[in-house]
Amino acid sequence: MCDITAVLTVDLLAQVLDWLHDSRDLKSCRLVSRAFLQAERMHRRAIRPLRLGPLPVLLRRYVGSLQSLDLSSCPSLDDSALSLSIPCPNNLRSVSLSRATGVTWRGLEVLASVCPRIEAIDISHCVGFGDREAAAVAKACWLKELRIDKCLNVTDVGLAKVAVGCSRLEKLGIKWCFEISEIGIDLLVKKCLELRELDISYLKVGNESLRSIASLSKLEDLALVGCEYIDDEGLYFLSNGNCSLQSIDISRCENVTSVGLTTLAEGQQRLRKINAGNCSPVLTSTFVSKLCTLGDTLIILKLDKLQLLASALEIVGKNCRNLLEIGLSKCNGVNDEGISWLVEGCTNLSTIDLTCCLLVTDKSLLSIAACCRGVKCLWLESCVLISEKGLDQIASCCMDLKEIDLTDCNVNDNALKCLSRCSELLVLKIGLCSGVSDIGLSFIGTNCSKLLELDLYRCTAITDDGLAAISNGCKRLKKLNLCYCNQISDTGLAHLQLEELSDLELRGMVRITSSGITAMAMGCRSLTQLDLKRCYSIDDAGMWALAQYTENLRQLTISYCTVTGLGLCHILGSLRCLQDVKMVHLSWVSIEGFELALRASCGKLKKVKLLGKLQDVLSSELLQTLQARGCRIRWVNKPLVFKG
Amino acid sequence: MDQKQRSSFTYPPRNNSPKESFNPNYDYPQFNSQNRTESPYTPSQFFNSQAREWDPHALLSNLSFLEQKIHQMQNIVREMIRTNEGQNCNTSELTAQRQLLTTDLTSTIIQLISTAGSFLPTIRTSLLSGNAPIPQLGSSILSASSAPSPSAYQPNPSPDYEELTKGWGENVVESAGQIQIEDLDVKEGEDVGQDGDTLPIGSYEVLQLEKEEILAPHTHFCTICGKGFKRDANLRMHMRGHGDEYKSPAALAKPAREPGSQPIPVKRYSCPFVGCKRNKEHKNFQPLKTLLCVKNHYKRSHCEKSYTCSRCNTKKFSVLADLKTHEKHCGRDKWLCSCGTTFSRKDKLFGHVALFQGHTPALPSDEVKGKNEEINDKDDSGGVGYNDGDEYLDMKGGYFSPMVNFDSFSFEGLDEFSRTTFDPTENSFSFLRSGSPDFARKDPGN
Repeated sequence: MCDITAVLTVDLLAQVLDWLHDSRDLKSCRLVSRAFLQAERMHRRAIRPLRLGPLPVLLRRYVGSLQSLDLSSCPSLDDSALSLSIPCPNNLRSVSLSRATGVTWRGLEVLASVCPRIEAIDISHCVGFGDREAAAVAKACWLKELRIDKCLNVTDVGLAKVAVGCSRLEKLGIKWCFEISEIGIDLLVKKCLELRELDISYLKVGNESLRSIASLSKLEDLALVGCEYIDDEGLYFLSNGNCSLQSIDISRCENVTSVGLTTLAEGQQRLRKINAGNCSPVLTSTFVSKLCTLGDTLIILKLDKLQLLASALEIVGKNCRNLLEIGLSKCNGVNDEGISWLVEGCTNLSTIDLTCCLLVTDKSLLSIAACCRGVKCLWLESCVLISEKGLDQIASCCMDLKEIDLTDCNVNDNALKCLSRCSELLVLKIGLCSGVSDIGLSFIGTNCSKLLELDLYRCTAITDDGLAAISNGCKRLKKLNLCYCNQISDTGLAHLQLEELSDLELRGMVRITSSGITAMAMGCRSLTQLDLKRCYSIDDAGMWALAQYTENLRQLTISYCTVTGLGLCHILGSLRCLQDVKMVHLSWVSIEGFELALRASCGKLKKVKLLGKLQDVLSSELLQTLQARGCRIRWVNKPLVFKG
Repeated sequence: MDQKQRSSFTYPPRNNSPKESFNPNYDYPQFNSQNRTESPYTPSQFFNSQAREWDPHALLSNLSFLEQKIHQMQNIVREMIRTNEGQNCNTSELTAQRQLLTTDLTSTIIQLISTAGSFLPTIRTSLLSGNAPIPQLGSSILSASSAPSPSAYQPNPSPDYEELTKGWGENVVESAGQIQIEDLDVKEGEDVGQDGDTLPIGSYEVLQLEKEEILAPHTHFCTICGKGFKRDANLRMHMRGHGDEYKSPAALAKPAREPGSQPIPVKRYSCPFVGCKRNKEHKNFQPLKTLLCVKNHYKRSHCEKSYTCSRCNTKKFSVLADLKTHEKHCGRDKWLCSCGTTFSRKDKLFGHVALFQGHTPALPSDEVKGKNEEINDKDDSGGVGYNDGDEYLDMKGGYFSPMVNFDSFSFEGLDEFSRTTFDPTENSFSFLRSGSPDFARKDPGN
């Protein structure tokens, strides 16, 4: 047996590895031989461990080369665990601690001091974080990229710490940091002159902030989603500022009208991406006509929920010839005529969002098929007037089609038959299409073997056979939604042997029992998210199976299941990756059961959803411990209603 | 009362101060201290009359006189050497010779300077030193300069010398001031031009009050009982008590400006503190707008801060109003900077943080680190809080104007004073004066 490394040197192998993006492929690679393992070790720059347990081994293996560490999926990460998991501090450039609610400012301070050259930190969604945590992060003075989205307690003071400490910042996200005001933004702008990307979405700041932001000469990308205090005047400041924006997101800014958008388009001539969705609904033609001045540079345009006339789309089509992506979701005025004018001009379009454009018919699909052969994503949810005729054209002309959303479009098996010709299809959403049956699914299963995501929400005509066809044909599925497909039974579920499946929704499938779950769990070992809400027949046996086979399960919904305290205890205690559990209306679980189960899982859970009545009966000491370990409890008060 | 005020603000007539001069035709006298007080320094009419206009003949004769004099001194020195070598030292004689030499050298220097002064056309008339008696208004600089009183050896008053005196006196001060000014410039350079006052230099008169006047609690005094008041209106009210003649509407009315009088020139004020940016000798002089500004500026910048806040026991003020303003919000400073400075408002703290490199807002329980080192950074701008104080008061200047009645006065003396600008060519001589105490003391006569 000859050594493959004699032919393929480690360098060459590393070049091969450059082309492998799927973690599963990399794993197979590692398992070939020691030489391959070595090559992989030298090649790898980033790891994203799912648990803390194997981390020391991993760190030893990749010491020296590792630059990026993503700990966002690790449960029970606290300060001491964090300080142990910082490898080769001199090389480390990027750390993600998103949702690492167990970490405190001390851990962050250690991180900042141990890794002096760290350039990127993500502490987004650590909802308890505030100024002290921001101050700790600010000690990393070489930081270029920082996300503190949804660190709810960060105020101007924390932002000032960051602004003063990390003056080299290039990218900053402070989305949902509601406490930050204009004063903080003003200081940030004065101190961090290198900023290129800034996300201040949902902040309660006004036009004055935009006036100061406009002075950032290097700013290219600005997100202002849902800034309700910003209006046209703010956009005027932006258009006259020093910055030369390439991308702006002003969606959901209710007070922005087309006047502001017009001035913006006049002043910022290098804009490549505009998201103006859900602004004030009336869009005058002046704005659209100003878009022509941007002309060829514009590649992404999103105008969701604006009132557009066909003539506006004509202007867009004539002027923005390089447009790659257009979003027209919920634009009432969009009709076939407008679409045909649009696609005649913008032949490069790869993503077209026509969600809820109720006037769109097959004619639109025909013109898209005729003009935009390269279209990759087509979102047609609730376009009730389209039929298999249009989809047939699309399928035969647009061979590159990768994503199609036909939710609620009343498509039938014939349409699926046409679509199955698109062998590149990765995402297919046909929820609420009651006309789809096993026959349609068999076409998909036979031809679309690359499918990654399939949504069959409330496709009530589907039975076990259809599921079998999918399971046998689409072996790479990662996401599958079978909610309320209530004809499917354990037999069908047993067909689900999808190694890569990570996300499975079985909500409201009243026929399935624990034996089906057991069979499924044995086949789908990679599951990370599972929704079993209202699967009334699932009991402890199902929990045992999940606890045994689906080790990576991170998010679990078992509301309304007939699970007892024992099963709950077992599953919460044994699943090491579990972080998010929704367990409302578990009528068979006693208070002691909840208490024990929560204690068993303590330290891992980051989010729990429980019935509000339990708030008073569970021991306060337990609740305090949970919260101290970074767990958020959502108490819901819903009446117990059984639906079939 | 007006009288009183007038006298304090008017430039008093100068005493005709005696000046140095020398007689170009003067022959070296016998060594006689008695003689010297009279003859050697008898001013030559010729020289004096030439002081203003440059005359080549005069220059030539002065120069030849100097030459002659230097020869004489050479002779004395040779004599001294010879005497020394001869070993027959007459101690008293030697001492006498030395004294003679010193005197002679000094007078030569002065004469040289005079000559140069009359020669250099850029110099206005002023050259020789001396001191006009300190004018009440405006010349505390002179008093500060420790210039010797030339009257000690200058028996001959002459208007020309007065000019010279003044020029020299100022030179001395200016040279000293210059050094300080440059020091201050480093610190204050930044806020030059912050002032909204855009009056071009020269378009206004500059007045300078003395320190004592600035700090005087009252500026209006009753001519009868001597009681002082801050406001003229209060004085007028007071005067009613002294008799019916003060109760007439005319006496009680605000003294009106004479109609048809000359348009009142714009007045600006200079701080008497040499080296201060508000002092007119400063390179980037920024005048103060009103008397109140002068008072507050002087107290804030150059006086001890004698009012201490009784609540925090740390903040000190020199202006009572400032203390009162502070007391209004003392104890409510909850915004803390890493340097230890507290602010009552977040935006003020953030403005401070934006201004100073490395300062950050402190977290509530943060220890105040490096308070002592860092506090210095902000000390200079400790002004910051009060920098705008002068402007702030300017706006309120209107309140004050009834009392500031000297609009109607003419300030001849001050005019001249303010015209005197610093001239570097003069400066080169000034060191002689300040650097030769011997010279100052040399003549005990008179």
